Amino acid sequence: MTGRRSPTVVLTKPPAGNDRSDASTPKVAAALGQLRSLLAEAQQLAEVVQTVVGSRRPPAAAVVRADAARIEELEHMLEATLKDQQELTTQLVDAENLAGKLMSLYVATYQLHVSLDPGEVQTAIAEIAKDLLGASSFVLLIKDDVEGGCEVALSQSVDERSRFAGGHYQGGDDMVDATLADGILRLEAEISTEALAAVPLRVEEAIVGALVILRMLDHKATPLSEDRDILDLLAAHAASALFAARVYSKTDRKLRTLQSLVNLIRGT
Amino acid sequence: MTALKKKILVVEDSKLVHKMYELMLRPHEIVHCYDGHEALQNLGDHPDTELILLDLNMPRMSGLEFLSHIKADPVFSQIPVVIVSTEGKEEDTQRGLEAGAAAYITKPFQREDIVEVITRLTRNP
Repeated sequence: MTGRRSPTVVLTKPPAGNDRSDASTPKVAAALGQLRSLLAEAQQLAEVVQTVVGSRRPPAAAVVRADAARIEELEHMLEATLKDQQELTTQLVDAENLAGKLMSLYVATYQLHVSLDPGEVQTAIAEIAKDLLGASSFVLLIKDDVEGGCEVALSQSVDERSRFAGGHYQGGDDMVDATLADGILRLEAEISTEALAAVPLRVEEAIVGALVILRMLDHKATPLSEDRDILDLLAAHAASALFAARVYSKTDRKLRTLQSLVNLIRGT
Repeated sequence: MTALKKKILVVEDSKLVHKMYELMLRPHEIVHCYDGHEALQNLGDHPDTELILLDLNMPRMSGLEFLSHIKADPVFSQIPVVIVSTEGKEEDTQRGLEAGAAAYITKPFQREDIVEVITRLTRNP
């Protein structure tokens, strides 16, 4: 019934002056009565038609409109779902990358601290540099308080002309010297260096050495800067693991010597 | 072994990489070997091995030597071998595949690299 003009049938009454109800001809009166009743019937029919037509058309249009609205709503929902799916896929990839990084960090930490044998700790450092970072050439420097400079505790594929070749590093590489002095991790610095990275090794607040990465594997796809977490972990854990192992090893050796002396004195 | 759980022989001298595999390859069963010689001995005890992850540079017996041994053995020659190595030159890959490896992955690797290859090579027909 929305603004649609309903077809109406209006029965017109004859003017009062022309009333012929008292007409002498009863036939005319009967015909008029018949006509009136027919008109009344027609009016009723018209009302029925009006009701039927009126009740059908507008709902049909409303259904179409409702369907269109629903389709639009579903399209919005689909669009939103696709956007969500895309976002979730991105989040899943990020989560997997993060899980991979955390796995690497966990394994690196585990391997550094699983043994108190200095040789095994050095092997763990070498494996982290090679298998997790993708370094093909590197050295592990430990400060030598007696002779000055650094002891080369570990080296892998170092060119014999390099200043890091041999058992001792006296200084001379600006980037490595700076890291040994201030304990800041440096990556591909612009200052004169043959190193790609200098990772300080700390025990509490003291800088006790550095891991110097000289070359990466040719096929390594990602830059070293993306492995910052592992480099930070090495800076924090490698030296303490190595020093703990060295102290334990020294103490254990002393203990065995003392035990041998005690056994000798007791005569066992 | 179930369809999801495979037995994988890892031949690798790095303890760190063994630990990585242990975490990455759950729920698969892993048999750990630290060189080719030990792997050959262990393979007899694990005839249901479904895949071998093989390093190239190892003490006592190298990866390629181990590979040539199992490819010559009718019992084990059908087990797919995946070389996982720091050697990443084109000729290294070629040599490994010609020796009979089913795939070649370079280190450092990502978890998805290994998982994808294992899924592909151990898929039931």
